Amino acid sequence: MEDNKSGRDLSEFQKDLLNDLKKSIKTYDRNMAARTVDKIIENKMDPMVAMNAMTETIRIIGEGFEKGEYFLPDLAGAADAMNGALPPLEKKIKENGRKVENQGKIVIGTVLGDIHDIGKTMVSTLLKAAGFTVFDIGIDIKAEVFVNALKEHDADILAMSALLTTTAPEMEKVISLIKEENLRDKIKIIIGGGAINQEFADKIGADGYDPTAPGAAKLAKKLIGK
Amino acid sequence: MQKGFIRKIKPLVVLSEEQVTLIHKSTLEVLKETGLKILNERALKLLDKNDCNVDYNSKIVRFPPEIVEECLAKAPSNYKVKARIEKHDVEIGGDRVYFRLFAGMETVDLNTWETRTPTRKEYYDYLTVVDALPNLHMVGCYPYFGYKGLPENMKIPEGIAAKARNTTKIQLQCFTKGSHAYTAKMMPELGCEAIGVSHCAAPLTYYRDSIDAMFTYINSGFPIYICSGSVAGGSAPSTIAGSSVTNNAELVGGVVIAQLIKPGVRTMVGDFVFPANMSTGAPLFGDIGAALHLAAYSQVWKKYGIPTAVSVSGLTNSKLSDYQCGYEKAIPTMIAALAGINVIDFHGGLTGELSAHPVQAILDDDVAGMIGRFIEGVDVSEETLAVDLIKEVGPIPGNFLTKEHTRKWWRKEQYTTRIADRITYPEWLKNGKKSALDNAKEKYEEILSNHKPVTLNREQDKAIENILEELNEFYKQS
Repeated sequence: MEDNKSGRDLSEFQKDLLNDLKKSIKTYDRNMAARTVDKIIENKMDPMVAMNAMTETIRIIGEGFEKGEYFLPDLAGAADAMNGALPPLEKKIKENGRKVENQGKIVIGTVLGDIHDIGKTMVSTLLKAAGFTVFDIGIDIKAEVFVNALKEHDADILAMSALLTTTAPEMEKVISLIKEENLRDKIKIIIGGGAINQEFADKIGADGYDPTAPGAAKLAKKLIGK
Repeated sequence: MQKGFIRKIKPLVVLSEEQVTLIHKSTLEVLKETGLKILNERALKLLDKNDCNVDYNSKIVRFPPEIVEECLAKAPSNYKVKARIEKHDVEIGGDRVYFRLFAGMETVDLNTWETRTPTRKEYYDYLTVVDALPNLHMVGCYPYFGYKGLPENMKIPEGIAAKARNTTKIQLQCFTKGSHAYTAKMMPELGCEAIGVSHCAAPLTYYRDSIDAMFTYINSGFPIYICSGSVAGGSAPSTIAGSSVTNNAELVGGVVIAQLIKPGVRTMVGDFVFPANMSTGAPLFGDIGAALHLAAYSQVWKKYGIPTAVSVSGLTNSKLSDYQCGYEKAIPTMIAALAGINVIDFHGGLTGELSAHPVQAILDDDVAGMIGRFIEGVDVSEETLAVDLIKEVGPIPGNFLTKEHTRKWWRKEQYTTRIADRITYPEWLKNGKKSALDNAKEKYEEILSNHKPVTLNREQDKAIENILEELNEFYKQS
């Protein structure tokens, strides 16, 4: 592991900084995470070491969630703290000419005519916690807006939400447009929401469906094969 | 008119007077400072004209407290709603309690407990059972969310027609993509009323269709049912007090709009707030926290003097008619009845809103009867005290079984179950070891064989069909 290897070369002070970073994620302290990352950059530590420390902490919390030791607010809090620390870290990694490793890029939104936000936001949070780069484009989203976002972000996965039985058919329109734009082969499509079931997902040609938010994150990982 | 049940005991108190006032004041503060997002131009103009603070760009409306108080005072505390036949009329408000059918998306196989889309016959049969059950007084938005072969947009309208055709009990009328403009014409054709539905999307948002439906239903002369559903810890604060404030602001805002559309319009509010299941993100159906929430809500709205309904009461996370289903449905429903809720959604649902079955509704009807009996309380009079009779019978060998007083009173005092297994053990063995579920299945067959709802005459049925055709045409054009 890169962080362990690099970890052997760290001073006590630098080790303390990494421990502070891990603690900030574990205690859902966004400000502490941001402050610690600033110090890490000031001390010219390898930003990848910090990134790996955060990812490792999130992974531990994710495993705790699976065991029923942590719950959704914990995952959301950890993801929020990590998001507080990510921008300066990613900037630094790019400055160093390296690529930010992630699970993949996901565009997520609630379909046209449907303004239900919470389920989509929950899935979005868990996807971030699972290591994906997530572009949450909001609610009441037209097919063209979904497609433009997929192109703009060069996304790997599209995640669509619909709570209502009357708005669910909108998903089929989005998939049709994706096919028209010749994007279908490079994008995996996952769907969810109160109105959705596996039968519907199969009917409209989605790649996956899961009834729960944690299930959606697992599904995304499975589909992208990382 | 349907009597329902009259609550003769004091409503359950879970909040102090001071706590009720705090929730009310916090509601006014949220409405005044944060406001509601109202995605409907017509409503924005109406609210603007009536001195609310409207931001047309963000669609946020901030409500001055004095306008809120005025509108709350205009809503009637008690009113009648006319059914297709007089015996199914209802009078909503005060101490009266009615039970209402809750929905399930699909039907469920009673052997495998797997769900599937119902057929039209199954949908219609369910409504025959609804019509027959004595403790089920009103029909909700749907028994199921449509049936096999229906286009998506026609599921709700065809459901409204099915309810009109198969039961004379009063129905809630939901809507989809402008359907309300057509379905609101159905009940006047039948000489009766429905209750129109408008719902808020938590947190603090009304979308266009919902407010359009409110205008249509109120202008068609219907009473209006304003409900809001949220998940505490998701679309509402995780605390019971905090989720009471957001839910209250959503409902009060809706009442303000309704009373501005037509002052004095018959109004009922609905609470649909659950805690979040923090392992899955789904609503925690059947949770005791939901019951505590609804009890607090009831107390606040008693203060406003506006009739209340709840939907959280009849829901269970259980996938089958088992012990968990029984306690998750019965406990919050009992609490709702004790808390003084006027209309309680209860019958039929399983697995949250995912499935429903008429056999479950038959089981639930027995529980509704038990709860109804409890809230009617204890009748203490010279006759029920029976002191003269006690003196007459005296100690053993005296007994009360043969007395006229017993024949007159026992049925009034006891609730006689239609479904629960109450036979002796030897009889149970002899009769094939039947459970309450088996008894309910038999009752289901019996109802379908014997019960005949008052159907529509040919002209009425044609009128309903014409409205459906017009709507179908509208969807094809649009």
